[in-house]
Amino acid sequence: METIIGFEIHEQLATRTKLYCDSPTNYRDVPPNTNVCEVCTGMPGAKPHPVNQEAIDAVVEIALMLGCEIVKGPIYIQRKHYDYPDLPSGYQRTSLPIGRNGNLNGINIWEVHLEEDPGKYDPTSGKVDYNRSGVPLVEIVTAPDLRSPEEARNFLRELIKILHYTGKARAEGGTMRTDTNISLEGGARVEIKNINSVKGAYKALKFEIARQKSLRKRGAAVRRETRAFLEAQMITKTMRLKEEAEDYRYIPDPDIPPLLITPEKIAEIKAAMPETPGMKERRFVAQYGVKPEDAKVLASELELANAFEEVAKEVDPQFAATWVRDELKRVLVYNDKSFAESGIGTGQVVDLLRMIQAGEITPKTGKKILEILVAKPQPVERIVEEMGLGKIKADDIIEKACEEAVAENPQAVADYLGGKGEALNYVVGQVMRKTRGRADAKTVLEMLKKKVQG
Amino acid sequence: MGGVEGVASYLESIEEGKEVNAFLDLNPRALEEARLAEGKLAGLAIAVKSNISVKGLRAACASFTLENYVAGYDATVVERIRKEGGVVVGMTNMDEFACGSSGETSAFGPTQNPAAPGRIPGGSSSGSAAAVAASLCDAALGSDTGGSIRNPASHCGIVGIKPTYGLVPRYGLIDLAMSLDQIGPMARDVHTAALLLEVIAGPNPKECTTLKVEPPEYSRLLSRKIDGCRIGYAREFEEFTDPRITSVIKKSLDRLERMGAEVVPVTLPNLGKGLSTYYLTVFVEFFSATRKFDGRRYGRKIEEVCGREVLRRILLGRYISQKEYSGKYYKKALQFRSLIKRELLGALEGVDVIAGPTVPKLPHRLGESMDPMAMYGYDVLTVPTNLAGIPAGVIKAGEVDGIPVGLQVQGEPLGEQKILNVLYALEDGGC
Ligand SMILES: [Zn+2]
Repeated sequence: METIIGFEIHEQLATRTKLYCDSPTNYRDVPPNTNVCEVCTGMPGAKPHPVNQEAIDAVVEIALMLGCEIVKGPIYIQRKHYDYPDLPSGYQRTSLPIGRNGNLNGINIWEVHLEEDPGKYDPTSGKVDYNRSGVPLVEIVTAPDLRSPEEARNFLRELIKILHYTGKARAEGGTMRTDTNISLEGGARVEIKNINSVKGAYKALKFEIARQKSLRKRGAAVRRETRAFLEAQMITKTMRLKEEAEDYRYIPDPDIPPLLITPEKIAEIKAAMPETPGMKERRFVAQYGVKPEDAKVLASELELANAFEEVAKEVDPQFAATWVRDELKRVLVYNDKSFAESGIGTGQVVDLLRMIQAGEITPKTGKKILEILVAKPQPVERIVEEMGLGKIKADDIIEKACEEAVAENPQAVADYLGGKGEALNYVVGQVMRKTRGRADAKTVLEMLKKKVQG
Repeated sequence: MGGVEGVASYLESIEEGKEVNAFLDLNPRALEEARLAEGKLAGLAIAVKSNISVKGLRAACASFTLENYVAGYDATVVERIRKEGGVVVGMTNMDEFACGSSGETSAFGPTQNPAAPGRIPGGSSSGSAAAVAASLCDAALGSDTGGSIRNPASHCGIVGIKPTYGLVPRYGLIDLAMSLDQIGPMARDVHTAALLLEVIAGPNPKECTTLKVEPPEYSRLLSRKIDGCRIGYAREFEEFTDPRITSVIKKSLDRLERMGAEVVPVTLPNLGKGLSTYYLTVFVEFFSATRKFDGRRYGRKIEEVCGREVLRRILLGRYISQKEYSGKYYKKALQFRSLIKRELLGALEGVDVIAGPTVPKLPHRLGESMDPMAMYGYDVLTVPTNLAGIPAGVIKAGEVDGIPVGLQVQGEPLGEQKILNVLYALEDGGC
């Protein structure tokens, strides 16, 4: 039984002022109802200012990043009417599609719109805060192309990555809101609202699939309805049935002439636009000869990708790619940090990789240093010093000598593994010779035992 | 007069003229403001329709909904008037939320017609027209969505201008139908109307729908020389108009001809179709505009306290804006609107202005009951102007049984000067 999932994703745009007035958008940093004016509180007689150009450009850029075509004709701003305390004028302004027919990792993007955020209503206190009212949002509507909660989760992560790449969406996080449509093959479509995170989307879908499956098992039909996701309980609950669906009575807003996005404007935005992760991946493969799977990991985070490119200027790109992808990324994931959050400087990575390449430290030591770097970014030199460079170097030299000696004396190793315990003493002697007696024979013996036994 | 004494004397007249019921709120600081006034309008007493925001005064829209709503900011037009020294003396009565053509739908009682006692003053800018006609102010601001400045100007025998859509900022005007509303001047003479117009007109960068044109100094450019002026007149006007009114209008046209203008026939076959297009548009836009009056912020929920006409429009708007009807009604109305616009602009191509009657009927007696459709019929000659977005002006052409009859002069977009000049020529009283 196939699962059919589609999304409507809303994310705030990182503009300085609101969509239809000059009120600032930093609503989280100020007391309630202070970032407001007569426009965003819908005072009688107030009219929207001309649409915030920064917001229009941001939506065009996001649409282009998602591979959409930009609508050529006039784009009307519609009034969507509904009655709720957070909506000061009794309608929300939402544009007709600005971008259409995009695609992200094989998932079709139907439409990209520009919208305004309503205020924030607290039903418990009955109070409304209009600081958020009028903050611009991008709305992204996908085709019902997703087939599992896991796929849905990956898609949302990827989408957030793109929004982050553009720098046009709010970086604070927690401002994403998602509605999702879900149905089981042949069943009625259910809409779930109030999803505020990727994790929430995953949990809501998991719950909803289980609910719909169990209904079917019992021979009951799934109703076409809108359900709310209750994050605390990780369940969905009926909001309204299809018959109760609200009629928003859309009309083109008479106060706002339609938007017109010129080919010149599109060209200008395209020229200044960052690469999409996909474009970056392909370029990394072509330009640096990096393996495609490495390129994918490198491009997964803008800062990580930028760091890689910086590092690749200084050290061999393929060597850098392997290290950044395998080791740095592993340590980052283990610590649940993005590269940007870790605060590691590209210079530090360059220093580290150079020392490894020069044989000054072993890869194993390099990994240890990386772990320290992620925990507390600092000059690599200092770490090396604190760990005791002499000892590190000595250990590294002994280890290297052991490896060489094992490689050079396969017969002795074979004899040892065959049961002749004393055969290894010969190899110990070889290591002692290589290290000019600086190594401790006991240590060498232990190290060799480990090595040959794997 | 003018200045402090002028304003003081108007305030006295307002007090004495209370039975006109032209004002709903008075500016307690009017005299103080008159003392400090400087500029083009220095010390001129301006009355403002109650749907235009004046900081500190009630913008009640003559409704219980906003009975106690005091505007927290000045409309752009009010800012401009103040900057030129104009003194807002008070807020005028009107049809509730500008829904009406008689002045009778006000929640605070109808306004009297000073020029035709016992009759309606017309609407919806009833109080503004009456205040001007009764000399309770130098000039007034009205708003015109389908004739709301011109209709009462005609019935009260004064000058009223409905500017080109977008010439005058709407910022601060409480909406009736956003795509049609325009603020305009009302005065006893053309010069004052022209002066007030040039002060309030001009682009507003904080609004999407104002035109990016700087208006000329209409008052300085006024000219009575109209020889060679081509004035269009449509026979279709007569199909809707009381013959006594037609005859007054024709006399005005004769006068214009004697002054050297040329009256030429134009045709407006779709003239009568404007009305349904207009009302469908108004219902839908008004429904949308009133959603903010939900009782959560401004005292009362509109549907619970408004009068019958306002409620009728909200309910009809709610009905025809339903998803299933939007294509059938509202979008059709928009299509018809472009047809009417094309027709009017086409007719204006061969002439300088089109002149004709303003209201097809004489104002009825106050309190006389009328069914809504007959009431809507008052607007048949004025709504096409708004649907086309063009300017029009009204001046008293004469009287029928002592009741004023106004001549309406319509022009091409931004053709205000031509219109004002024709009105100016008629005002002279010559020929
Ligand atoms: Zn604001």
